[in-house]
Amino acid sequence: MTGAQLVLKVLQQHGVQHIFGYPGGAIMPIYDALYDSDVKHFLSRHEQGAAFAAVGYARTTGKVGVCMATSGPGATNLVTGLADAMMDSVPVVAITGQVFSSLIGTDAFQEMDVLGMSLSITKQSFLVQSLDELADILHQAFEVAQSGRPGPVLVDIPKDIQIGAVDFEPYALPEKTFEPVADCDIAKARDLIGAAKKPLFYVGGGVGLADAIDELQDLLDATQIPAISTLKALGTVPSDYPYNLGFVGMHGNQAANHAVQECDLLICTGARFDDRVTGKLDTFAPHAKVIHLDIDPAEIDKLRKADISILGDFKQILPALKATPEISAWQQDAIESIAKYAWRYDYPNEDIYAPALLNKLSKALPYDHVVSCDVGQHQMWVAQHMQFTSPRNHLSSGGAGTMGFGLPAAIGVQVARPDTTSVVVSGDGSFMMNVQELGTIKRFNLPVKIVLLDNQRLGMVKQWQELFFEERYSETNLSDNPDFLTLAKAFDIPSVSISKADEVDAAIEQLVNSEGAFLLHVQIDDKANVWPLVPPGKANHDMIEGA
Amino acid sequence: MTHTINLKAHNRPEVMERVLRVVRHRGFALQQMSMQQCDINQEVNITLNVTGERCINNLELQLSKLYDVSHIELEAATAIKSAVAMNA
Repeated sequence: MTGAQLVLKVLQQHGVQHIFGYPGGAIMPIYDALYDSDVKHFLSRHEQGAAFAAVGYARTTGKVGVCMATSGPGATNLVTGLADAMMDSVPVVAITGQVFSSLIGTDAFQEMDVLGMSLSITKQSFLVQSLDELADILHQAFEVAQSGRPGPVLVDIPKDIQIGAVDFEPYALPEKTFEPVADCDIAKARDLIGAAKKPLFYVGGGVGLADAIDELQDLLDATQIPAISTLKALGTVPSDYPYNLGFVGMHGNQAANHAVQECDLLICTGARFDDRVTGKLDTFAPHAKVIHLDIDPAEIDKLRKADISILGDFKQILPALKATPEISAWQQDAIESIAKYAWRYDYPNEDIYAPALLNKLSKALPYDHVVSCDVGQHQMWVAQHMQFTSPRNHLSSGGAGTMGFGLPAAIGVQVARPDTTSVVVSGDGSFMMNVQELGTIKRFNLPVKIVLLDNQRLGMVKQWQELFFEERYSETNLSDNPDFLTLAKAFDIPSVSISKADEVDAAIEQLVNSEGAFLLHVQIDDKANVWPLVPPGKANHDMIEGA
Repeated sequence: MTHTINLKAHNRPEVMERVLRVVRHRGFALQQMSMQQCDINQEVNITLNVTGERCINNLELQLSKLYDVSHIELEAATAIKSAVAMNA
């Protein structure tokens, strides 16, 4: 068979059924092989859309997402999606076509140093140099993408390798193995937990990535220790857990941020002390000893010194940490704080209060729905005001903060989970960044539900201009947006626009009950801001609330 | 402060770029370096003298995460690349 046919055979050996991509000159042999393959290809309308669809597919299933593009600009258009996957530890394999090996380094048409570009935005990357190594490199790509801390891997395949003849070999998938965790470290951590008066779980995305959500929930049940969650962890701690203090960080819940500042033991579980979580780092959890649990040794002591660190598989580690600290006063504090700082939705005006709309939407959607959001104010409102049953049901570009993430990610979700309600919550700025993917929704009749919160502004930047740049609104006015209903109609997607609070219930019902894709355009006040907020350079207990 | 790092890596054409990129991005400047191909196992030996204000252990751990790096040690320190590190 040809190298191109081998690529698809290897994908199938790894269980790949769906891929996202865009053809072009240097990857034509693989697209030709695809013509006869059982692997189903979803054509995006921009390679970045393909990359984000693969990210959405991976994040909502835990399986590897696969995207493909041609050489040169095809590959450069994948870069942002791969960088996003790198920052959020998402297992993605990207396959790029490359010009003939003999033309590499000659400035040939659409010839770029894709391997060179990939170095900082992938976990590993390969330029295939001979047919003999093609299958082995592809197998390595899948192994690396999924092992340890997951991440994106790029395989760049010159055209001569794609058209060359090669034999296909059977392949046995390797078993996932982990080093055993040292018993003495576990015992020390358990003792520390047992002796703590104010312990706090700081839950990160690593729990979901390790597929250890049940183990974490069992540990919470056993210890009854209060918990806070990062953006990527939302959905991990059950919403009805009595000591669930919620979302921590710059736009987190006050209950979560105050608890961090008061705790005497912080059990960091698959999180990484990101600046959007900690605020001013040396003021974060100032009274706490730290137990840091992770799969990645490079995260230990990177930003906060750990008193005890345990590396390895959470499925092994978490069940071994069951202790029963005497913390009734601390638990009572948590319950009171949760009540005191509960989100409020009593908004007297006639216009639409986005947090209230999102809270209603969350309750109206089917139990196991998935929300993919974009980046900005609406992203923080989603994190604050919607509830999720799993971190695989809340896809948000966390580390990279990539506008344009939501729509293509929701496409990946809908392909992976066709019976699940896949919702995008976007803003008018973000939506336009990958709006071309409405074409993909139409092409494949994907019933993606889109909620577009339109304040005719780049809202989050505008909010910072208001608060920290003397209201100098430089380039954040988007009042010349297109008519989004006409835009939807051009893609044959039904839509409705609302601007008053009394229109919300009916519009949500229409969205939820729509059979196919649907766009709900929501006009909101451009003065609405995200509260509370930890100002840059401040400690988390210095959160400010808006008027 | 200047540190010496010795590492062994898979002999791929881009391996020096990978190593040097991590050194720069993680806050260190290169003072001196050498690279030599081994006769066995398609590996290269790399020695780096780097200077920087940040914690050298963090650089060591970031370098050890590179898929092509099989062994790393700080001079006058013991090797830290464990099987767990390989998993990440």
